[in-house]
Amino acid sequence: MIDPLTSLIIGFSVILLLVIIFYPGKGLVARFKKNKANTYRVLIEDSLKHLYNCEYNGINCTLNSIAGSLSISADEAAKVAAKLEELGLVVSNENGLSLTPDGRAYALKVIRIHRLWEKYLADETSIGEEDWHHSAEEIEHQMTLAEADKLAAQIGNPVFDPHGDPIPTAKGDLPGKKGKSLDSMKIGEFAKIIHIEDEPHYIYSQLVAEGLYPGMQVQLIESTKERIKFLANGEEVVLAPLFAKNITVAPIKDERKIEGTFKKLSSLKPGEKGKVLGISRRCRGQQRRRLMDLGVVPGTEIEVELESIGGDPIAYRIKGATIALRKSQAENIYIESEE
Amino acid sequence: MNVMMKDNCETCPVHNLGNLKKLGINMNDFDFVVALAGNPNTGKSTVFNNLTGLKQHTGNWPGKTVTRAEGGFEYNGFKFKLVDLPGTYSLLSTSTDEEVARDFILFGQPDVTVIVVDATRLERNLNLVLQVLEITDRAVLCLNLIDEAERHKIKVDERQLSKDLGIPVIPTAARLKTGMDKLSNAIYEVASGKYVCKPYRIKTKIKELNYAIETLSKKISEVYPQVTNVRWIALRLLEGDQSIIDAVKSGDLGTIKEIKHEIDGQSLETELTA
Amino acid sequence: MDNKGSNGREEILELANNLRWEIGVDFHDKLMESIYENAATIAARSVSTPDKEAVFSFDKKLDKILTSPVFGFPIMFVVLAVVFWLTVVGANYPSSFLASILIDEFHPVLKSFSLSIGFPGWLSGLLIDGGYLSMAWVIAVMLPPMAIFFPLFTLLEDFGYLPRVAFNMDNLYKKAGAHGKQALTMAMGFGCNAAGVIASRVIDSPRERLIAIITNNFSLCNGRWPTQILIATIFIGGAVPAYLAGIVSAAAVVGIAVLGVVLSLIVSWTLSKTVLKGEASAFSLELPPYRPPRILQTLYTSLIDRTLIVLWRAVVFAFPAGLVIWLVANVNIGGESIASVFINWSDPFAILLGLNGVILLAYIIAIPANEIVIPTILMLTVLVTGLTDFGHGTGVMFEANSTEVTAEILKAGGWTLLTGVNLMIFSLLHNPCSTTLLTIFKETRSVKWTVVSALLPLALGFTVTFFVAQIWRLIAGF
Repeated sequence: MIDPLTSLIIGFSVILLLVIIFYPGKGLVARFKKNKANTYRVLIEDSLKHLYNCEYNGINCTLNSIAGSLSISADEAAKVAAKLEELGLVVSNENGLSLTPDGRAYALKVIRIHRLWEKYLADETSIGEEDWHHSAEEIEHQMTLAEADKLAAQIGNPVFDPHGDPIPTAKGDLPGKKGKSLDSMKIGEFAKIIHIEDEPHYIYSQLVAEGLYPGMQVQLIESTKERIKFLANGEEVVLAPLFAKNITVAPIKDERKIEGTFKKLSSLKPGEKGKVLGISRRCRGQQRRRLMDLGVVPGTEIEVELESIGGDPIAYRIKGATIALRKSQAENIYIESEE
Repeated sequence: MNVMMKDNCETCPVHNLGNLKKLGINMNDFDFVVALAGNPNTGKSTVFNNLTGLKQHTGNWPGKTVTRAEGGFEYNGFKFKLVDLPGTYSLLSTSTDEEVARDFILFGQPDVTVIVVDATRLERNLNLVLQVLEITDRAVLCLNLIDEAERHKIKVDERQLSKDLGIPVIPTAARLKTGMDKLSNAIYEVASGKYVCKPYRIKTKIKELNYAIETLSKKISEVYPQVTNVRWIALRLLEGDQSIIDAVKSGDLGTIKEIKHEIDGQSLETELTA
Repeated sequence: MDNKGSNGREEILELANNLRWEIGVDFHDKLMESIYENAATIAARSVSTPDKEAVFSFDKKLDKILTSPVFGFPIMFVVLAVVFWLTVVGANYPSSFLASILIDEFHPVLKSFSLSIGFPGWLSGLLIDGGYLSMAWVIAVMLPPMAIFFPLFTLLEDFGYLPRVAFNMDNLYKKAGAHGKQALTMAMGFGCNAAGVIASRVIDSPRERLIAIITNNFSLCNGRWPTQILIATIFIGGAVPAYLAGIVSAAAVVGIAVLGVVLSLIVSWTLSKTVLKGEASAFSLELPPYRPPRILQTLYTSLIDRTLIVLWRAVVFAFPAGLVIWLVANVNIGGESIASVFINWSDPFAILLGLNGVILLAYIIAIPANEIVIPTILMLTVLVTGLTDFGHGTGVMFEANSTEVTAEILKAGGWTLLTGVNLMIFSLLHNPCSTTLLTIFKETRSVKWTVVSALLPLALGFTVTFFVAQIWRLIAGF
């Protein structure tokens, strides 16, 4: 029989080796998968996407902007552009580069997959907001259109991604641009955030960190060259105009305009009551629908009925039934408290 | 007389045989198919057991009835097939349970859909009721747990409710087996067309919602003039429901037609009285 | 209509899409709001409620007690302990009654009948000593505990107590990335893992449900308790002074069960942080009003719904497994039975784990039910050691008349305290029985997750027993 010490050492080594190989995200298998991504195809598709974005926003695109957006050298950008022209996806003219109908269709395909995937991650998984874009940047080069259609069918054929951008249809239709940027609002005007641009990343992550998301109601308080001050769901936010430009808003039509600070359901104590104002946009997908199915809609009266032993979850009286919600869920429900 | 009635009925196109077969319902020897819908915790299974005599356990949890339960019962010489749908809070979300229930009521076109509600929390249960009434014209509301409601001194005016919803409302206490005969009778009356439902349809004050639903409904009616629950189809299309999109694409939507009970019902009625 | 055809259809879909872009992201929200507004209007016209305070006051009071920090957990433990006690104690009598009829009485009758109508010896051995006996064993030891446990559990469920347990336990399970209702599926798993897996249906979020299914096997099920008690009595109880034997061996068994619960939480946490990280998670739990349970109907339905379904699945597997058990002991290759060949071949590996080849083979061929592991081990031990005073012939499973006899057989088979301890660990940490595996497949409809559920506890079992054995030997100075 093998000496126990030797076998212990062997045992530990085997486990260590397995960890090194299979460790999620950083293990050898994970690294190998990451490196396998086809860089050539990625360059082509990313530049098409960039060109499309220019077209959609009415800006002129140049080789330099491609190089900048893809973080490659100008030489490489020129090579990619030449390849694109050869494939008949792009034509160059005096204004720079523009897409051919084929090129546009290709770009829309990539964008469709990108936005569908973001929507899928937001609604159907528990992957964090900061990882959506990055993951979609990878998936968009790997998924086929047929797979994307299947995914779309599964998640209820969404027409908007979680940032508020429209998702192109399978046929490549996309509605025109709507809304205006936050910094162009008038003082005192009410509006709703309909879109937050997710590029460049450093601005986007700052906006996410401020707790801003599509669907929030905003009211402009102050607008100077140095800063834009506004209320977002009742809370004051100050942004530099450069940052505010990346937020698109649209006027509020039929909704109640909410003034004052929102209170969260989680702030109520047993026996206290409140009336629902709305569910935070951060609560998405099935989770959000389930809350509404249970009767959590604007106007519903909720009473805190019972705390569990650990204080979380808490049971609430909602439309005659006792429903237990976790604290993390109750934090996403905005209420106005009642006496 | 019994035999004759049955023969007559087998020839009348009361239910949607083709689609029912697709859904795995064997309609041999049955005259009517009845779907049973309702929220979890409303005593739906007790109602099912009382009507069919079949013992089936469904606990306090949503999603218990994953495999569909079926049973049969006879009333007034007619044979009814009862299909127990999964208990759901709503029909508008994406869970499998809701899909099963929703697709059965829409594509299966049951002759009657019985909606079981908890009388002590009517308001919350009406959410599902209103959704079902968008899909089908023939429904019966089973106002269950009426004993519990009485104990808690909650009064429900079933006549007013019936008038508002446009369907028969039968108070029952399935645990005590009260009201079951009236329920069977109401099912029979709706199935045979004696009672013509005028179901309540959801109204909304939100303009954009109304505009979207109206516009789309109109378009659907142009292409599929025989479909009467266009509003539901429109709602589902606006929610991106793939099974409806597929049905529109393939033209299957045309095969689910609302039966004109004024005509069939009349002929049936004359036979019944004969 | 058809001449309008596909054009019209496409137009509908296109219009729908454009309208959706028009309305924006809030369509569903607004629709739900409108429906509830309608519902409120209608309800207000026909419902009249009295003074609101009086409503459901009984429920409120009971809830206050059952979820109070002082009484909540004690009540829960007492209720569950009573259920388990009733199951274990209550099942003894019907179990031995069934065993005496099916095994002691009917087995010899069948055997002599088959010989009298001219069955060759091998055929009656295969069908009756193999298939029938294994099936009879499964029925005798499985049916009574389940017939007691499930109705009791269902009564608690119907009354409305179980949702409160989930409510109280959710905090703990949330930390492990799981759903509070997993506490219930786990408790159900103590009765039978297959039933626990089915019970996972009550969890409607797919991710949490999958976690509950995969980790259910860590609940020490009914079929494994007798093994634990027997081995603990022989080896652990035997290793301490006689006056401590009872309490120490009982503590060892409870320790294994607690280890199972702890591992289920750890594995849940690991799964939710790694492979199941991306899966969606949602929480919803309704606390229904308390309702008096209907005892007779519950007895009837839980017997039909749970007990018989599970038992049937077990029996279906037990018969062919019995055939295999008989065959491996009786078919010879080069003068040695398949069983001996496998046992000799696997012994070096098994000893590395502090077990032996007999145990490994027993766990492979007794996969239909944990209940027949001990009879199979005894039969195989007698076979390889060549003991002649025990058992009823080659390939015939048996149970010794007393614990002492069992101990004698096992010690003759070379078992030590380490073998005993590691068998107890391996009994907790090995692949689920075939009934449970089939149930997992039926519930998940996924080969992948079924394989994971089988291999994960097995790998854990190999790892733990390996390290226990090596460290044990290191300390013992082997």
